[in-house]
Amino acid sequence: MTADAFLFWFLAIVTLVSGLSVILLANPIYSALCLAMTMVGVSALFVTLNAYFIAGVQLIVYAGAVMVLFVMVIMLFDLKKDLQAFTRGILSGALKIASVGLLAGLVVGAIAISTGLLAEKTTDNPVTMGTGMESTKALGNILFSKYIFGFEALGVLLLVIAVGAVALARSKGGTHEQ
Amino acid sequence: MGMGKDIFEITVNGLKLVVIFLMMVQAVPILVWLERRGSAFIQNRLGPNRVGPLGLMQLLADAVKFLTKENFVPDTAKPLLYYAAPVFALIPGAVAFSAIPMSTPIHIDAFEMFGSSWGPYTFLVQGYDIGVGIVFILGVSSLAAYTLLMAGWGSGNKYSLMGALRASAQTISYELALGLSIVGVIMLYGTFNLMDMTMAQQGPLHFAFMGHTVTANWLPNWGIFYQPLAAILFFTTTFAESNRLPFDLAEGESELVAGFHTEYGGFKFNMFFIGEYGHMMIASGLMALFFFGGFGIPYVSVAQVQEWAASATSTATGASALVALVHFLSFFIKFAFFLWVFIWVRWTLPRFRYDQLMDFGWKTLLPWALANTILTAFVIYIASL
Amino acid sequence: MRAVKVEHMNNDIINNIGLNHYLILAALLFVTGMAGVLLRRNIIVLLMSIELMLNSVNLTFVAFSKYLGILDGHIMVFFVMTIAAAEAAVGLALAVSIFKRFNEVNIRFFEHLKG
Repeated sequence: MTADAFLFWFLAIVTLVSGLSVILLANPIYSALCLAMTMVGVSALFVTLNAYFIAGVQLIVYAGAVMVLFVMVIMLFDLKKDLQAFTRGILSGALKIASVGLLAGLVVGAIAISTGLLAEKTTDNPVTMGTGMESTKALGNILFSKYIFGFEALGVLLLVIAVGAVALARSKGGTHEQ
Repeated sequence: MGMGKDIFEITVNGLKLVVIFLMMVQAVPILVWLERRGSAFIQNRLGPNRVGPLGLMQLLADAVKFLTKENFVPDTAKPLLYYAAPVFALIPGAVAFSAIPMSTPIHIDAFEMFGSSWGPYTFLVQGYDIGVGIVFILGVSSLAAYTLLMAGWGSGNKYSLMGALRASAQTISYELALGLSIVGVIMLYGTFNLMDMTMAQQGPLHFAFMGHTVTANWLPNWGIFYQPLAAILFFTTTFAESNRLPFDLAEGESELVAGFHTEYGGFKFNMFFIGEYGHMMIASGLMALFFFGGFGIPYVSVAQVQEWAASATSTATGASALVALVHFLSFFIKFAFFLWVFIWVRWTLPRFRYDQLMDFGWKTLLPWALANTILTAFVIYIASL
Repeated sequence: MRAVKVEHMNNDIINNIGLNHYLILAALLFVTGMAGVLLRRNIIVLLMSIELMLNSVNLTFVAFSKYLGILDGHIMVFFVMTIAAAEAAVGLALAVSIFKRFNEVNIRFFEHLKG
């Protein structure tokens, strides 16, 4: 087995197992820590795909900020093991699992059928050049030219979210006047 | 990246990682000794001076004490998290520290060994060179918050939990100002790569401004002369990131016993300690690298050192190793100076109150870092006209 | 390793890692997240499952980006990350207010939400 292949299989197993643990563990703290593990695994997968900058941002934003926020909130609530972690009802549960399985089958089938429709570009492209700096520069160039409107819109969105989160957190219990 | 193309290169690169990790761990007892003697000096006391010359054997005595302490788990603790937290405390520091370039690369000429010839090699004096060095270091060191939370919650103790919540809130708040303060540096050098940044800071102070080249021979070309505000902001936020005084609200002996490591003793406590010093070392290394020319020697260029080394040694390999050694010493002096500043500040300033800490982070450091970023962008644009 | 492309290696799914591997991994992660959303009752775990789904989508974007040699996928990942962070902030603020009122973060309390 080559080093690349070994790395991929190792990371795939780590992300899948920790991803499954997120939904199967009844204690939300362990779920959150497993999700952080998944994020780190996905970040490493980004590195195997030559997306060095995105991998760093994934670590900083997801693993370093968003998940820490989750863990902090869960610890503040001091939640114990969920008494009723999963939904009730055998029939509805089976239906849900069946629909999830159906979706998985459809997606994997679609990938298997459509494989080979797209031609792989291996030479002369910004993604595979160098060890990160060139592709990061190219990324900055298109972010601030082609996608500048989306970027500005995101700025406005973040402002709205900041105001909204503060307004929600300041209210005293409940989400509306009693 | 990649570890190398033959067995010799892979072995050396692997050993290098181990050596850098050990260097980090071994520096901790020396720093502890320095901190205790230094604090004693600052407070007009003697400090530990009984065991061995200058009290240096105290380090060994401490290690023995740590190793032989009774191992216990509190009744209400969650054993898995309780044991995992100190181990995880070491990882971010060690991984991030390996990415800091500490000297010029060593070139080894082709040589004969075990009856076969081994091609010329180039070894970097750093664990690994990642193209996007800063982003990687910031990302990895932001994982340190989990350690605090795991320790605080896993101990099953209210004081630990409060300490961990304070510490992690502080870490993620100051991370914003930390990240923004070095955006100016990144814009200035136009790269994320730490080696490129160091090389950009060699020689006398010179820059192009609106088509003219300005040169000042009496100053080295260091980042601090371009980004003084960023240097101050960066150094301040790193104190908060490594939970040192005046930002050590996480510990706060008078309120929280000892914060997130209240329930830890012996070697487990020692590992937290190594983690904290690891953060200090990364901060000092980055400070030297961003603002004080990295391994560069002021007023002397790398080429001059190479010339001198070539005249002092007979082989090219030896000359390259000598150049690397000289530059490593230069880096080490800057590195040690900033470590001493960390200790100095700890025994000089009192602790902040928690609301003061948050106000300072969000209302003072963050706007100033933002202003520095915008100002730098304007100046770079005007200079390029 | 990419340079050496031997014909019989193409069918070797263990050694020859290609786009399909990443797509299927991302699909499985997405399905895991979806199962979490459908099956769990804790609001915070629901939010975490959504984060898992968003992550798997990011993985798909980056895999396609490398395969096709264009950077637009990376830009989409940026946007997804920003929106995910914003969503987590608001979601957690909602969870905090639900918790303050009912001392529990079960999804069934969300029926009390009114404007």
